[in-house]
Amino acid sequence: MSHYELATHDLTLRHGRATIIDRLALTLPVGKVTAIVGPNGCGKSTLLSGLARLHAPSQGEVLLDGRDIQRLPARELARRLALLPQEANAPEGLTVAELVRFGRQPHQGWLRQWSAEDQRVVREALAAADVIELAERPLDTLSGGQRQRAWIAMTIAQQTPLLLLDEPTSALDLGHQIEVFELVRRLAAGGRTVVVVLHDLVSACRYADHLLALRDGQLVAAGPPSEVVTVDLVRHLYDIECTLIQDPHTGSPLLANVRRAGRFGEAG
Amino acid sequence: MRSGASLNEGRNAVVGAEEADAPVGHWRLAWRGPLRGGAYSILVDRRALAAAGLLLSTLLVASLAYLALGSGTLSLFEVVAALAGHGDPMAAFLVQELRLPRLAAACLTGAAFGVAGCLMQTLARNRLATPGIIGIDNGATAFAVASVVGLGLSLAPSAMALAGATTAAALAFGLAAGGGTRGYRFIVAGIGVGAVFEAITQLLLAKVAIDTANAAYPWTVGSLNARPAGAVALLAVGLVLGMAAALWLSRALSLLRFSDSVASGFGVLVARRRWQVLAVSVMLTGLAVAVAGPVGMVGLIGPEIARSLSSPRGVPLVASALAGALVMVLSDLAGRVLLAPIEIPVGIITAVVGGPWLLWILLRPAKRNLA
Repeated sequence: MSHYELATHDLTLRHGRATIIDRLALTLPVGKVTAIVGPNGCGKSTLLSGLARLHAPSQGEVLLDGRDIQRLPARELARRLALLPQEANAPEGLTVAELVRFGRQPHQGWLRQWSAEDQRVVREALAAADVIELAERPLDTLSGGQRQRAWIAMTIAQQTPLLLLDEPTSALDLGHQIEVFELVRRLAAGGRTVVVVLHDLVSACRYADHLLALRDGQLVAAGPPSEVVTVDLVRHLYDIECTLIQDPHTGSPLLANVRRAGRFGEAG
Repeated sequence: MRSGASLNEGRNAVVGAEEADAPVGHWRLAWRGPLRGGAYSILVDRRALAAAGLLLSTLLVASLAYLALGSGTLSLFEVVAALAGHGDPMAAFLVQELRLPRLAAACLTGAAFGVAGCLMQTLARNRLATPGIIGIDNGATAFAVASVVGLGLSLAPSAMALAGATTAAALAFGLAAGGGTRGYRFIVAGIGVGAVFEAITQLLLAKVAIDTANAAYPWTVGSLNARPAGAVALLAVGLVLGMAAALWLSRALSLLRFSDSVASGFGVLVARRRWQVLAVSVMLTGLAVAVAGPVGMVGLIGPEIARSLSSPRGVPLVASALAGALVMVLSDLAGRVLLAPIEIPVGIITAVVGGPWLLWILLRPAKRNLA
């Protein structure tokens, strides 16, 4: 799979008059999992929309291998970059295989509706996301975790070197979350660059190679979790105090003794 | 085993295209051509084809019944003879001069309403969002009636109906204020716009002499009895163009059923495609209203029948057109024969059938993704 580097330069995203992302400059490491974390309303999802060209910048640009994505033809962008938004909904009654086949759209045309390549890629995507047995089941009959894997299979079938996921685990129980995270790791191991917006800092530390911490539209930290996550950063992001310990198995940071900041200082 | 492999190779050499199995429920046609890598493939959705075939054959049967039944009932043999120009001159007159043009008008208006409804529903991702419900029919009617009762304008009803349809759509869209064509805001705004235009129609009719009001009355309920000259021909042209445009948009349409962010992730130019779909739907509605008045219920019932017969893989445009035509033909036939010699306007029949249908849609257990 060819590599494409996604970066932003002086990126400013606004909703009406409110500035959500303020003059952001960052580069996403190729072939790695990057997690975007931060408190509610910090602009995580808006940044992801901006990276996927769903939200046009008021200033600056998003660069795909140095080219402004606003100037790329829509289909060409769709062959480089796939997005799984949070409120993804599908037509009623669609089966898993039918959903995943839609992922081939950017590679198809009026006279090229179904090639051997399409068939191979869809089969691989179903296998990668472990939904082969569910292929002929309608989406509305699946559990939340199965449905999320089916959606990820669709983005895999799009065969893009870049994959953006907006809170793919937010509605899932722990077991289903782990399934999705392990799938994300496998995709990165296969050479894809994955960007994932996450609520949960601990999961981000465990599964991401690179962390982008946002607050009020500004980048407050960027780098490998074990290097950038500190007690100060956690306080700054979420207004909480904690003790950081190391996961004995992975070495990634864990939050312990978590409490609201300033609670014990009030009396004194 | 061995012979099977060589058979495949042989077919490959003849067809010259790469091998792939058709996805479930499809036929795959593949061949090799001169341009762009040379390998071409087309998928035919078997269920969509079966739905179209079923609807088309039912429409043909309904059409024969339409030609045979009425004030003078003919046998099937007499209908066929009359169509061929043989047999009883009176029967030939009845079929060729009276019933056939009206049948054509019923098919054309039904197909236009059906496709317009299907397009608008897909656009709004809501099966209640048909042109009839969001006031486009009423806008077209008000303008057409205005041209008939005479505001000093001598514009043809088709042009006026188109202008009315466009005005109503623009108002509904404008009043939805940024909500776009998605969600209930657009529908509620459209219902309001429709009510205003209906009141305008009534006001216009109340202000003019009773004879003029009688002449314009059919429009207000929907009837195939008084078809303005030329409007049918314009509708025929519009339907051919509109259907071609809709089919050209069909790939984008099937992706627009997903959330906007998913659709643009597939490389669909969501905003542009949405305008194009809206324009085609409004044009078809305006031209059809100019012929038959606001029979908008067909835009609700037609796509519903089409969808129940088709697979969720695609948007049932052809089936909606055929189902719309079928509903229109059957409704007008019922209107002509039920209380003969008195004729019930087709708009009343579709309302009597469509009202309960609407209630059923509203009252049955909610399905996901349609709210």
